[in-house]
Amino acid sequence: MRPEIFALIAVVGAFVWAFRALPMRLDMAKMPEKGALARFFAATGVAAIATLFAASMLPEFAGGRTVPALLGSAAVLALYLPSRSVVLATLAGAIAYGAGFALLA
Amino acid sequence: MAQELGAQDIRRGAVVGLPIMLGYFPIAFSFGVAATKAGLSPIEAVVMSLLMYSGAAQFMAIALVAAGAGFWLSVATLVGMSLRHVLYGPSLLRAGGQSVPPKGALLWGFGLTDEVFGAGLGAIARGQAMTGAFIWGLTLVSYAAWVGGTAVGALAGASALAAWPSVDAGLSFMLTALFLALLLSIMQRAQLPVIAVALVGTVACSFVISPTAGIMAGMILGALVGTVVGGRDAA
Repeated sequence: MRPEIFALIAVVGAFVWAFRALPMRLDMAKMPEKGALARFFAATGVAAIATLFAASMLPEFAGGRTVPALLGSAAVLALYLPSRSVVLATLAGAIAYGAGFALLA
Repeated sequence: MAQELGAQDIRRGAVVGLPIMLGYFPIAFSFGVAATKAGLSPIEAVVMSLLMYSGAAQFMAIALVAAGAGFWLSVATLVGMSLRHVLYGPSLLRAGGQSVPPKGALLWGFGLTDEVFGAGLGAIARGQAMTGAFIWGLTLVSYAAWVGGTAVGALAGASALAAWPSVDAGLSFMLTALFLALLLSIMQRAQLPVIAVALVGTVACSFVISPTAGIMAGMILGALVGTVVGGRDAA
């Protein structure tokens, strides 16, 4: 293993650990239940997932894979709404995307 | 009895982590393939997944290594991409009604990826209790799938999926599908403004500044809107 690659992995990995684990040492008990910071953290979850979905769709549109991406997203919606299963919806999305990709190829 | 509960909670966490496993293995497989294509050895690819455990940052890392980018520029870029994780731990604790993190948080906290965070929130929204054992189960299955997928992909080599482009394409969409399914599992009508602002903020800043800035902006703008809307509702 090349030392410069290991150094890069180790330094970035240490930051990743610090960003994920250390903020939990904040004393949450002191945070007012309806305070602004509490509301901010409560809204972070849904904002983060929406953001990550948008960020992962953008390269699909930019890369000319709009139809498979829309088919995949429609399949997620079609499976999630009746089943409420994240597993089934995710698999259906990937299969529909692959099928759309094959049809357009 | 306590041990029994712990084992039950680990299993509960592992079940919640199942869709993440299904998503992570193929994506990590693709990462292993891409890493060897970019000139990394299989050991370097696996160590990266073991110690960095951050999909987007890892794909960016191999691009930076392949492009011959400088060490500190690479560190700054990759650290900047990971900054969003600062918000996840406190947000998850808040959702789970915990004033202090369950035991072992300094260890399992490393496993709080985007998907683990989303799945954890979804489970809490469906009424599951957030215990230390539950989080261990959730994070360990996800971590194992990520590292295992990387190893298999790196050993399979650069041309592993060349003969099956549609399968390759379907696998590449797995995480996007997972994000959408997770979003559907945690969203409520009152959060629609948060989602709308996060989506628009991400798209706008990705085009105007950069995709990494778009992620930070979408997340923070969405959370700020949630802070304001939540305050109005509480008043």
